[in-house]
Amino acid sequence: MSNILVARNINKKVPLGKDNELHILKNVNLEIEEGEFISVMGPSGSGKSTLLYNISSMDRITSGSVEFKGSEISKRNEEELAKMRLKNMGFIFQDINLLKNLSVIDNMMFPALVSKDADKNAVNQKARKLLEMTGIEKLADNNITQGSGGQLQRVGICRALINDPDIIFGDEPTGALDSKATEEIMSILADVNQNGTTVMLVTHDAKVAAKTERILLMKDGNLVAEKKLGKYTAKHDDIKEREESLMKWLVEKGF
Amino acid sequence: MFLKMIKNDFSRKKIITLTVFVFITMAVLLGASATNIVANLVQSMSELQKHAVPADITQMHAGEYNQGEIDQFTEKHREHIEMQETMFLLTLDGRNIHFGNNQTMAGTVQDISFVVQNKKFDFILDLNNEKLDVKEGFVAVPIYFMEQYDLNVGDTIRVKSGEYEKLFVISDYARDFEMNSSLTSSKRFVINQKDYNEMLATEAGELEYLIEFKLHENGDAQAVQTAYIEAGLPANGPTVGGKIFLLFNAMSDAAVGMVIILISILLIIIASLCIRLTFLATMEEDLREIGVMKAIGLSRKDIKNVYLNKYRIMSVAAGIIGYLFSFVLVNLFNGNMRLYLSSDLSGNLKYLLSLLAPLFVYFMIVMYTRKILKRIDKISAVEALRSDILKHEKSRKYSFPLLKNKFLPVHIYMGFRDVGKRSKLYMLLFLIYVVCTFIIILPLNMYNTMNSPEFSTYMGIGKSDMRIDLRRTDTITEDFKKLQEELINDSEIEKYAAYITSSYKVKNAEGSWDYMNIETGDFSVFPLHYLEGRAPVGEGEIALSYANASKDGLNKKVGKEVIVEVGGTEKSLTVSGIYQDITNGGKTAKAHPSLGINEEAILWYIVSLDVAGGADIREKMGYYQNTYDSAQVNDIEEYTKQTLGNIIAVIIAVLITALFLKMLLSKDMSQIAIIKSLGLTSQNVKHQYMAGTLLVLVFGIIFGVLASNYLGEFLVSMAMSTMGAAKIELVSIAWQTWLLCPIALMLVVGYTVSVCCKVTETDDLSVVLRS
Repeated sequence: MSNILVARNINKKVPLGKDNELHILKNVNLEIEEGEFISVMGPSGSGKSTLLYNISSMDRITSGSVEFKGSEISKRNEEELAKMRLKNMGFIFQDINLLKNLSVIDNMMFPALVSKDADKNAVNQKARKLLEMTGIEKLADNNITQGSGGQLQRVGICRALINDPDIIFGDEPTGALDSKATEEIMSILADVNQNGTTVMLVTHDAKVAAKTERILLMKDGNLVAEKKLGKYTAKHDDIKEREESLMKWLVEKGF
Repeated sequence: MFLKMIKNDFSRKKIITLTVFVFITMAVLLGASATNIVANLVQSMSELQKHAVPADITQMHAGEYNQGEIDQFTEKHREHIEMQETMFLLTLDGRNIHFGNNQTMAGTVQDISFVVQNKKFDFILDLNNEKLDVKEGFVAVPIYFMEQYDLNVGDTIRVKSGEYEKLFVISDYARDFEMNSSLTSSKRFVINQKDYNEMLATEAGELEYLIEFKLHENGDAQAVQTAYIEAGLPANGPTVGGKIFLLFNAMSDAAVGMVIILISILLIIIASLCIRLTFLATMEEDLREIGVMKAIGLSRKDIKNVYLNKYRIMSVAAGIIGYLFSFVLVNLFNGNMRLYLSSDLSGNLKYLLSLLAPLFVYFMIVMYTRKILKRIDKISAVEALRSDILKHEKSRKYSFPLLKNKFLPVHIYMGFRDVGKRSKLYMLLFLIYVVCTFIIILPLNMYNTMNSPEFSTYMGIGKSDMRIDLRRTDTITEDFKKLQEELINDSEIEKYAAYITSSYKVKNAEGSWDYMNIETGDFSVFPLHYLEGRAPVGEGEIALSYANASKDGLNKKVGKEVIVEVGGTEKSLTVSGIYQDITNGGKTAKAHPSLGINEEAILWYIVSLDVAGGADIREKMGYYQNTYDSAQVNDIEEYTKQTLGNIIAVIIAVLITALFLKMLLSKDMSQIAIIKSLGLTSQNVKHQYMAGTLLVLVFGIIFGVLASNYLGEFLVSMAMSTMGAAKIELVSIAWQTWLLCPIALMLVVGYTVSVCCKVTETDDLSVVLRS
């Protein structure tokens, strides 16, 4: 498998007051393979989300380089990066971040309709299929204020999938959900990953991380350790075992 | 604690607060300046009146004159008349007066006369409001001419007429209560009795008379005027009541005051809209705060006070600043008043009267804020904290789905649908744009109207190339005949029509007799636009001016009868039409020549003519020495006013757009970050907001133009109806109204949006997303 994303010696500094700055990411190196399901764990303030946003082009790194599908992206201009996010990347947020004045289906279709040559009928069909797949087809034409947290996060996932991205980034996508909703969301993401889409999550929850293939541990702006659990399939794997093994590792690493 | 909260609120919303503050301050500043001007005007007018003792009735006359008859009349009407004095005027043409470097006053629209100071009343004053006492060899020049020709005390003027020639040194400005204003068409130069006698002896000018009456406090001016004419006393010219001078004197300063008051009211409206906008835009954020305050047990009154106090503090501060600075600003407007009315404007009335402005603005702002805050009453703590619920309740049918958009790029469509989705918010912007367009278009239309050939229609004159006026000379009748003969033989004159205006007795609404100036002639040659009916073309027909036909005049409609006395017999005439006329006090009439002429009461002759193709109108005008006294005298003044209006409108449009976008963008920042995270560029975001704003602007312009074309026309007509033109049709030049103004506004607003949207260009999107 080839790498879809490679980060080399990336640093992120943000100004803190007039003379100080905060060094959030310190010479981080990371490689993500195509089709991988990866999660980043670590204590609050360790730089997990910052890492996700910086390698996904949402934020600009201070130094270092990021290659996406073999080409350097950190020096690209805003327009090129926007185009890349639109075509190749999907994002899922803890706060879901849907557009307020759009209905559920319009929120999903929005990224697809941005391209000038979008076939509106095809986009509509695809969106409805995704809704069906995630079990919220009845919500399609509702206002986003009419859905629960779990339902809306599924809308978020559908939106991330609408342009068939190569990779999906999730910043604590289950952070605000109960255990049942969390399980449902993780099962959808696992299916997405099964279909070949790379997924990278930031999470606090060991149960969530236990369902991912590789877990990275961050501390004080550095990637300090990683654990490979292999692909999880509900049929063949015992989730309890994976969780225990992960917990043990985390305790070992002082988390 | 509350003070701290207010302080925090100020620092959190610096730009918004500052903008609202600036608008409130400007409103106070202008309001206080306007009331200040009015106060000064009232005080200086009464001061000037006290010193000048103007006449209550002034009869102008040229020709035969016998003081004995006047004295007899005065004695007979002692119950009304307190004093009588006749001023002898030596009228000269402007070209007889030389000054500076071989310049003359030729071409002035004013009648120039040389007089000696009166003994009893109607005094001409110096700049200190003292009675002028001009020494031999000196002259006091009317302020109008001092200004017009940039003359100074100590300069000289040379009067040359026939054999007469004399050099006068200007010793004073002549402040003349009766003839100060540029609206009065005569101006009086004051000289010494000896110089006057010399001038008279050499027949340097035409002799005219101002037969003036000062009445007792309860004297009836109308009765004296009627008795005077009935007595057949000299009246070969117009009669003027005392009040008209008051009006003329106050007119230009009162107009300035009115315009400033209007702008001030406009600014109060804009400030109120800004406050409403602030509330609407920050309500979501504030609602949480209100919720917290309610949850920790603050009373409704306390919470309201937090918000109310903010605007109270702002209004008080703005009030003080505006009030104090108004005394500086007012000096810019007072120059005219200082010169024409009173050099000393130190009266106390202005301090009190202009205090009204800050008080008014304060109450308006506080009342308005209270009204907006009413909604706080209706919200419970939980609702306020969970603003989601509020939205839930309000959720309506989903409108403007994305798939409905067939042609536009999705971000442009998003911009348009945002206007529909948040129509309440955009409505304020729309109103501002309407007002701005109105401010630009209305003066433009007025300017175009005044400069259009159709404007003569409001002056009771049919459209013609040229107009020759013959007035008040002994040889007037001969001149008129000569002129007509010459016109018949002049091959360069295509057509002409001669009109004679004389005074007739007309039965008024109460059944008694009034005097009215009626013009007779062929009114079909140069047709006039009639408000109702048509020109008097047949025997026994008369057309009345709007003011004459109105309730204040004869109260006659088309088809009604008017009784006119001609040569001792009463004639019944039918009203054939009503036309607009702002000349001669608005009260004129036109009749078919068959009415006959009141030979003894001929006032003036007018000849209108069209020059044949190829002939030079200017040359003809020069030849016939005519005075076509058009409204274009005011050109430059009108033009500057209009440019000023444009600049104000553009500044308001820019400021409000900037303020609106600043609020909208800070409110939408998280949504913008989401859109950008999905793959849209800052450029797309900019275009989205530009599309929404420009859509609102387009609607604003359309409504603004319609408002200025219709409402503006109505307002102008209302204002002009007191002057005799009830239905002004504003001339709007399509390319200016529909092309130039919209493009200019769109460029300015578009640029403002583009600058404001720079805030969306952030390197790190996650900062907003995660906050």
